[in-house]
Amino acid sequence: MTQSNTVDEIVSQPYKYGFITEIETEKIPKGLNENVIRLISAKKNEPDFLLKFRLRAYEQWLKMKEPDWSGLIYSKVDYQDLVYYAAPKQDIKKKSLDEVDPKLLETFEKLGIPLSEQKRLSNVAVDAVFDSVSIATTYKEKLAEHGVIFCSISEAISEYPDLIEKYMGTVVPINDNFFAALNSAVFSDGSFVYIPKGVECPMELSSYFRINSGDTGQFERTLIIAEESSSVSYLEGCTAPMFDTNTLHAAVVELIALDNASIKYSTVQNWYAGNEEGVGGIYNFVTKRGECRGKKSKISWSQVETGSAITWKYPSCVLQGDNSIGEFYSIALTNNCQKADTGTKMIHIGKNTKSKIVSKGISAGQSKNSYRGLVSISPNAEGSRNYSQCDSMLIGDKASANTYPYIQSKQPQANIEHEASTCRISEDQLFYLQSRGIDFEESVSMLVSGFCSDVFNELPMEFASEADKLLALKLEGSVG
Amino acid sequence: MKSSTIYQEWLDSLPPTEGYLKNEQSIGRKFLLEKGMPSKKDEAWRLSNFSKLNNFLSLPTIIDKEDIKSIFPAKDANRERIIIHPNKNPLNINLPNGIEHLNKREIEDNLGKIVKSTNIKNDISVCLNQASSLELLALKVKRNFNQSLEIVIPSIEGKSISTRILLLIEEGAKLDLLQILTGNNNSAQNHLIEIKLESKVELTHGLISLGEEKDSSSICTLAVEQSEKSKYSLHSIHHGWDYARYEPRIIQREGEASTIIKGLQVTKSKEQIATHSLIRFEGPNGKLDQLQKAVASEYSHCIFNGSIEVPQKAQKTEAAQLSRNLLLSKRARIDTKPELEIVADDVRCTHGATVSQLQDEELFYLLSRGIDNKHANSLLLKGYYDEVISHLPKSAGKWNFIEKLMQDIKK
Amino acid sequence: MISSTSETILSIEDLHASVEDQEILHGVNLVVKEGEIHAIMGRNGSGKSTLSKVIAGHPSYKVLSGSIQFKGIDILELEPEERARIGIFLGFQYPVEIPGVSNLEFLRVATNSRRKELLKSELDTFEFEDLVKERLKIVEMDPAFLERSVNEGFSGGEKKRNEILQMALLEPFISILDETDSGLDIDALRIVASGINRLSQPNSATILITHYQRLLNEITPDFVHIMADGKIIKTGNKELAIDLEKSGYDFIDKNSKEKEMAK
Repeated sequence: MTQSNTVDEIVSQPYKYGFITEIETEKIPKGLNENVIRLISAKKNEPDFLLKFRLRAYEQWLKMKEPDWSGLIYSKVDYQDLVYYAAPKQDIKKKSLDEVDPKLLETFEKLGIPLSEQKRLSNVAVDAVFDSVSIATTYKEKLAEHGVIFCSISEAISEYPDLIEKYMGTVVPINDNFFAALNSAVFSDGSFVYIPKGVECPMELSSYFRINSGDTGQFERTLIIAEESSSVSYLEGCTAPMFDTNTLHAAVVELIALDNASIKYSTVQNWYAGNEEGVGGIYNFVTKRGECRGKKSKISWSQVETGSAITWKYPSCVLQGDNSIGEFYSIALTNNCQKADTGTKMIHIGKNTKSKIVSKGISAGQSKNSYRGLVSISPNAEGSRNYSQCDSMLIGDKASANTYPYIQSKQPQANIEHEASTCRISEDQLFYLQSRGIDFEESVSMLVSGFCSDVFNELPMEFASEADKLLALKLEGSVG
Repeated sequence: MKSSTIYQEWLDSLPPTEGYLKNEQSIGRKFLLEKGMPSKKDEAWRLSNFSKLNNFLSLPTIIDKEDIKSIFPAKDANRERIIIHPNKNPLNINLPNGIEHLNKREIEDNLGKIVKSTNIKNDISVCLNQASSLELLALKVKRNFNQSLEIVIPSIEGKSISTRILLLIEEGAKLDLLQILTGNNNSAQNHLIEIKLESKVELTHGLISLGEEKDSSSICTLAVEQSEKSKYSLHSIHHGWDYARYEPRIIQREGEASTIIKGLQVTKSKEQIATHSLIRFEGPNGKLDQLQKAVASEYSHCIFNGSIEVPQKAQKTEAAQLSRNLLLSKRARIDTKPELEIVADDVRCTHGATVSQLQDEELFYLLSRGIDNKHANSLLLKGYYDEVISHLPKSAGKWNFIEKLMQDIKK
Repeated sequence: MISSTSETILSIEDLHASVEDQEILHGVNLVVKEGEIHAIMGRNGSGKSTLSKVIAGHPSYKVLSGSIQFKGIDILELEPEERARIGIFLGFQYPVEIPGVSNLEFLRVATNSRRKELLKSELDTFEFEDLVKERLKIVEMDPAFLERSVNEGFSGGEKKRNEILQMALLEPFISILDETDSGLDIDALRIVASGINRLSQPNSATILITHYQRLLNEITPDFVHIMADGKIIKTGNKELAIDLEKSGYDFIDKNSKEKEMAK
């Protein structure tokens, strides 16, 4: 057996989160038109400004064309064949966990996210989102003591409409791109975080997204605001059952960091990737952007992308405030017929702004893994610096790794440095580990994990090992 | 005037298709008619300065058949010189031993083939040339010969010229080719050069492209096909053009070949110079070492777009690409975009890009030794240029490009 | 330590092996018994390193004919990790750097896979730390090395000490040390040599592959073999190494010339 064959085998493993929860769901009829948007807004009891926001976005969306520049080939989504709102049948939102359908609690427990008071993770507050709605948020009271707001976006819309009106759509405008416009028109739920001035959020915040219905598009919306001198670390996780149709997930995430504030946003994305032949799986078309509005503010994205049939996203930083910092750490592992086109945009506007990009792509099977990035230095961004490092690892001779780093500079007092490499697992390293008695499978897993270590180091402690396990799981298999 | 009008007028101004390039002319014109003017929607033209392209197309293409009166430095003793006069049949030239004109059959067999195999037959730059080139210089270097050659293509004041070259280098031959493109006041030139390297060929190709005078522009496409065990090194300098677009496209047809590309482009005032390179490996064990340097000062704009394609059949490819850019002024702009597409797994590919100004520490070191700022800067720049220009043949120095490159900074 | 009842650990018979379709070993014969120290000397390109890689099972090297037996078992079909687990250790001439993989973790996983083979209990992180700290003393290594990536940024001497540390942890029956002395200064050489001496056991054996006599001043070999052109052409005791140091490899050339003539 050749090396690449064996490695191929061990990167293929069954998806463990493919089960479906049997639960009665309330769905609105398929299709999208103005009435559907009014219906979603009415179901959620939204204030008038938000309905207008949705309708404006819908109007823009109608004028836009689905983008095709990425070279990703996928069967086009029939937007009239999707359900835009699905919710487990229960009253809008329960006051306490006891009232939540036990089936839902069980679902999240199976996913490793226990929500009940006895079992819930210590030091991590979780907002659990099931299809279109948030079903529970833990540790709300404890967070409230510090003035931290952590709740579903629907709740925030009714409880804190002023904050929503002030910030929503200011980082990702409703007409930013085709999918962002669609999201702005029909978003169902998501998470909201507000950290008041001077507060260091006392625990990790986490949202867990679960798609359950096969024909439902998931359009969640996350908004995080960090006031002056505050800080927060937030993590999202995602899984979905196995369907042989493609499910669309078009989320929008907006982050706002004011003076001296810091936001760390981590993603562990493990949506269903489709089967070995590429049938089914999630289309993960997400717009994520953070604005460092304040001086010395910092936004740091880390992502571990292992799932989805197609991932198409570029978590970005707009570095407006002087001395602000943007970071992007990414691991993208693709296998079988998966396609990932991901990267970041670092837009340097303020003086002395700094950005760092570390991207590790691993492609196996017939998958296609692309890094696409933009580093742009505007004429006023004196003293700005960027460092980017993009490494790709290929496993097997049918996988492809593409790198498109785009650099644009209009400021001489700026330094931009980009390095990239593409390689396969080194035979010498593999032999060295094996010659110490470590078996082939574990050696490969160690080398992949070592290849990704720069990024693991950036994940919150609680999740670094989870992410490592996830990669190991993807690499786990049946080597005889 | 609207771009589309200029474009149409340019097409209309071309003489009727005729001669042995008749077929090529119709292909090019047909394509341009159908495709229309390049626009910002074409990724390869997105950053192009269209008003400069309009200037390019506004110049008359009809040229009187008279000799060019340019004065050039004396030719080297051991290097035959060919001066290409537009519209003048290039058959009456002295060719050194081992270099011959291609016969009709050979031209038919090869013309356009390399353009096709480097996959640029639908490229606008190529079609502009196909549509307007009236003459062809078609040469071959015979098997196992070792020769040197100089090809000079001067622009003509107030005119637009279009030249086409086909070069066939037979198995085992070696050629040291020095190519000089010079600009003139308010002039445009467009070149299409096809080169085929048979197996075991070694070609050293120096390309010195100097705009020199006011408002000169140049579009130059290079289509190179390498057979196995061939070695191609291309060293280029682009300087002084108001608008220049340089497109080297190289394909290693069977792998097992080596390619070295070192390019330098320097812009000042409101100039725009763009390099769009493509290297594709179609067989195993290919090697590439690519270095692209750019210096942009004042209000100018340097662009580099570099594709490397390594498909599945190109196992054990080793490719390195480095884009190094100096941005010397607040109004200048640098865009650099490497594009790597790799499907083979047993490859080593690296690329890197930097954009900065001259390094402060280096500068400080020189200043601390009593060298004044201007001098120190020019010393450092010279060092920066040296990595590319040191590879050009020594005799190329008579074209004074080093002085021209340094002049910019002395201001 | 050698006695007539000593068991044979390694037995190589008429071994022919190639790399990249070029035959490098042209019939190597070697028997190593418990308690023995063998030195293999020879010029660059004589096949010494190839022999060590073939014994350890490097995938780039192909065995064309002949056999290698370890304690009576044919090992040619075994994967490199299986060879390591049954007690074959190769000290690399150029230990490989593996960025991102923690040295401590690597040592622990390797040690446990060997222990599993020996039916010993696997060590958890804490137990392993105790063990590794104790073994560190043998090579006089700073525990800070454990926190770094495998061999990454280690100096030549540090890499070689890390190799001997692995040997100390894996407790192999046979250690093949490929040019362990190359690139070491006097102090490092002394530390490495004393480590090797301390680790030798009555039931284990060592093969030192070296270019120079100086390692053999620190470790006394029972046998010295001289390799040339993919074969062991001469075997003797440590005097042979001393002769070799004095007269250089010229006599090998003489030998081979004579052979050529004979042909």
